[in-house]
Amino acid sequence: MRILRRWRHPASWSIFRLDDRLLLILIAVIVGTCSGLAAVALNRSLIAMFEWLHHFRHYWWSFIMPAIGAALSALFLDKMVKEGAGHAVPEVIYSVSRYGGLMRFRSSFSRLISSCLTIGSGGSAGPEAPVVMSGAAIGSNIAKLFSLNDRQRVTIVGCGAAGAISSIFNAPIAGMVFSIEVILGEWKAVNIVPIAIASVAGTEISRILQGNQIAFSHRLFHIGHLDIVACIGLAIISAVASVLLTRLLRSMHGVSKKAPFPIWVRAAAGGCAVGIIGIFLPIVLGEGYHPLRTMIEGAYTQGLGIVTLAVFAKILATSLTLGWGGSGGIFAPCLVIGSLAGLTYHRGLLLLWPSVPWVNEGCFALLGMAGLISGMLHAPLTGIFLIIEITGGYEVILPLIIVSVISTTLCHYIEPVSFYLKELVEKGQLLRPGTDARVLSDLSVQELLEKDCIIVKQNMLLRDFINIIKKSHRNYFPVEDEKTGRFLGMIHLDDIRSYLFNPLMYDAVVLGQIMDTDVKVVYLDDDLSEVLRKMDVNRLFSMPVIANRKFLGMISKATLLDKYRNELMVQTDL
Amino acid sequence: MNAQLFHIFRNTPLGRETLLQSIYFCKKVGASLIIYIPEFTKFLMYFENDVVQIDLDNSYLTSPETALKHAKELLDQGKIKARFLEPKNFTASTLPDISTNFDFMCCPRSISDLSSKIGLGYIGPRVRRIVNSARFPVLITSPVFKKWRSIAVFFGGSANAVNALKLGFRISRASEMPLSVYTHMENASRESYEEIIKNENLEEEMDHYVTEWHMFERGKFEENIYDVPHDALVVLGAYGHGLIRNIFFGSKMEKIQSIITNNLLIAGPNYGLGQK
Amino acid sequence: MPFLAENHIVFICKGMHGCTSHILPSAFSLQSIYMKLNLNDMARCLDLPVSTVDRWIRQGRIPIHRSGNDCIFKESILEKWAFNHGLRFSLPNEERKKEQKFGLTNLLPAMQLGGVFHDIKGDDVESVLKSAVDKVPVPAINKQGLYERLLEREALTSTGIGKGVAIPHPRTPLPEETDNSLITTCFLEKPIDFEAVDDRAVFVMFILLSTSIKNHLHLLSRLAFCVRDDSFVEFLRTYPDTSSLLSKIADSENLLDKADHN
Repeated sequence: MRILRRWRHPASWSIFRLDDRLLLILIAVIVGTCSGLAAVALNRSLIAMFEWLHHFRHYWWSFIMPAIGAALSALFLDKMVKEGAGHAVPEVIYSVSRYGGLMRFRSSFSRLISSCLTIGSGGSAGPEAPVVMSGAAIGSNIAKLFSLNDRQRVTIVGCGAAGAISSIFNAPIAGMVFSIEVILGEWKAVNIVPIAIASVAGTEISRILQGNQIAFSHRLFHIGHLDIVACIGLAIISAVASVLLTRLLRSMHGVSKKAPFPIWVRAAAGGCAVGIIGIFLPIVLGEGYHPLRTMIEGAYTQGLGIVTLAVFAKILATSLTLGWGGSGGIFAPCLVIGSLAGLTYHRGLLLLWPSVPWVNEGCFALLGMAGLISGMLHAPLTGIFLIIEITGGYEVILPLIIVSVISTTLCHYIEPVSFYLKELVEKGQLLRPGTDARVLSDLSVQELLEKDCIIVKQNMLLRDFINIIKKSHRNYFPVEDEKTGRFLGMIHLDDIRSYLFNPLMYDAVVLGQIMDTDVKVVYLDDDLSEVLRKMDVNRLFSMPVIANRKFLGMISKATLLDKYRNELMVQTDL
Repeated sequence: MNAQLFHIFRNTPLGRETLLQSIYFCKKVGASLIIYIPEFTKFLMYFENDVVQIDLDNSYLTSPETALKHAKELLDQGKIKARFLEPKNFTASTLPDISTNFDFMCCPRSISDLSSKIGLGYIGPRVRRIVNSARFPVLITSPVFKKWRSIAVFFGGSANAVNALKLGFRISRASEMPLSVYTHMENASRESYEEIIKNENLEEEMDHYVTEWHMFERGKFEENIYDVPHDALVVLGAYGHGLIRNIFFGSKMEKIQSIITNNLLIAGPNYGLGQK
Repeated sequence: MPFLAENHIVFICKGMHGCTSHILPSAFSLQSIYMKLNLNDMARCLDLPVSTVDRWIRQGRIPIHRSGNDCIFKESILEKWAFNHGLRFSLPNEERKKEQKFGLTNLLPAMQLGGVFHDIKGDDVESVLKSAVDKVPVPAINKQGLYERLLEREALTSTGIGKGVAIPHPRTPLPEETDNSLITTCFLEKPIDFEAVDDRAVFVMFILLSTSIKNHLHLLSRLAFCVRDDSFVEFLRTYPDTSSLLSKIADSENLLDKADHN
């Protein structure tokens, strides 16, 4: 019987005890496969839904479809699966940074279904973020099955996310880089290998089931020197578009929170609006891979005016879908908005300098995509690798790097935190390892407790107290009530120094008279950052810790420094 | 002892009974009470290797304006002070995280389902997961408040049962109530159980705390349970020697919880880790 | 299935309660030795609170594997890890040895070592000290050097603390010459003027030789406590012999110890 239990704890097998890297690689294969499957499932169902609903698109009432889809998805999330509202990726990052990657089992499939409903019916969102969350949740639960510790579990969650992205784009390097850059936030050798393996597994599953197709075929682009200069302009435009999208999304969130309607009504309202926009500009509906293909091939025939309008319309549509309760990610809409922006720029350039042999507009569409992704996620490497892999074209690498990097930098000036991390940082909940916030949140008051204070009773005479002072190592003496043991106050040697050498007072003074009752205290479950703030405000270097009105020990800045250093050294190692 | 008991307050008459029980427990054992008056129906508890989402049923959110007042009235009646927990971290905007470093937690038999499911034999799946993952024992209250005057520990000899026994000693020491141990002898002899006690170095505590050790040699377990006094706090481990540990608790445990109406204090498999 | 292979490794676990052997199934025949310790003992070895060690194991930051309440680890790896992170790791047996070195000597053993001598001859401080130094029963000591150091100290301030008692001692401790602190009690043939604080003639000298300042202060404070008691000084004036003096000292020390542990 114990055998079965040991099977569930592979970390305790002797082979793996020496080095758990082998264990992680094996689990990474499993996780990569599973999340790859999830991604393929979502992809297929989206395609199926799209085709099924395509018949109804030419009816006049087709604008209701996104509304229905969004409402259904909101209802599903809230009532059936009982998940909280919110974007998927910040939740993954939150759990990775704070709880070692623990995620609920229901997250593995809930977002898949709800985003299928939202996007399939025409909502302007992307399937990548839900798939990332599913992959991460699958990884987390497999790690839970094998009883891994926090550090290993975080790696496996990263594997799940990488497998998912690799599978959905057929782009293993982009999956790896995304997972390490955005989800984990740290480039450590121990992470990279399992994540790479998981990416490979995910991609392989996708190729087996869907064939090895590059998402977007490419043509040979001849990049001239002027084009490279022109990229800078494109970078600026994509940065502007990113900022616009971010701001609009957040304001939509804010507006919808204040609306007094139940969740599904709000989602439906957003969907309706999207549907209406979609009637005029069908490009804004759905995740947009189809129009994306057209644009890259340079076959998009609308004029400059429409294209510019389309950029703003897509931004608006995405904000409406996601801000009002629909479920999905911003990856794919970023790609569409980016390519539209690229097209606009290209048309603009043609207008201004018609004689210059600019490169084909498809190239600018690609560059716009990269610029938008890098700007929104503050992840230039992900943007670069993604574009290279989904188009299979390496010749655009020079302008690609320029656009990604400049766009990221510009966005960083205006919005210092990326879209995914913004909510977390605002609530102070982003805890990357090795940061001050992380160290303080890991340490607890219990760990800093110093228990070497001698406790005295309030009716003790000063004479007897002198004997106690002889034996103690500290300057503080907590006073307890004789009958109930409750903490009453503190005696600090500084305050009573003058009385100590006056023998006449030895029998005349009881401790209850010389103690300080107005003492600031700390509780066991206080946040350390809060404790430090109290110390700074009151100019104290140590404070008593109370639980259940009894004195437990002291907490001091000196011990904090010691433990802080230990913790920091342990957190930032290999 | 400076232990803490976590209690989720339901602002209904049923919740009042549960809170009274928690207050009594805290006073007897000397623990401090931490009350959470929920604002949302869901919250997350992150344990060492599991995250449990508690979906409270709607009765927990009844008339929030009066919840605080009712709770305070009961506290005043019981002459005990409590702290009200305000969650600081949120996984999603409607999903607060509740910390898990308590020493006890009080639950009714089911916290996710309707109040009708408080009958015997039913322990909700969430409560089971909490018992499985938590390092603290879970106090499952009887539907009506009753003061317990003694402690009854079920000892089956497994590692989990030893933990339950240690928990029983701890409660007895803190509350100074008499403690009796009940063992249903299956195929083993009396000596083998005593052997287990000796191996765990618990002989001294057995002599000190235990007033009587009832060994059931004959008869069916279900009938022998009648010997447990009606006003005892029953302490037991969640598992025995069996294989299947996830969906069901140990077979004895399931039987016990479906027959007796006393308050149950269940020690899960992780109880006792990392304690001094 | 590899984990079913039985019993190839026997390794010795050292716990706080001696050695127990434990058998662990293993797929390969590893020559390494794994140690097993209880969590509390582990925390003590690392000199960290239990909750910190517990948390680090859960987070995977320390190379210890845990099953139940036991920590399984490899000593060499853990030592290296501790060294790299500025932490101390010492096995339980080693700690006990360190504690024994730093005890403090009490009056009774010090006086037994130092000896009690009567009828020390001399007319003034210098001669009395010279005679006394000759009696000090430490062969390794350079008597002339000690005499000079005692004089040096007398020159600073008189070591006569009143009531006829003097406590000559060198200014710095002598850890090289003697392993243990000692007090040589010298009853003088006739009382000498020591320029003591109360101007009374000194009739007994307690020469204090300590291995450290801490020891010196400890012995001094105990001696001062005894001398504060007038009846003790009266007892001294009867020029008691060695055994009665030592038993009186033992009584006073018992009183002191009782007062300390109140």
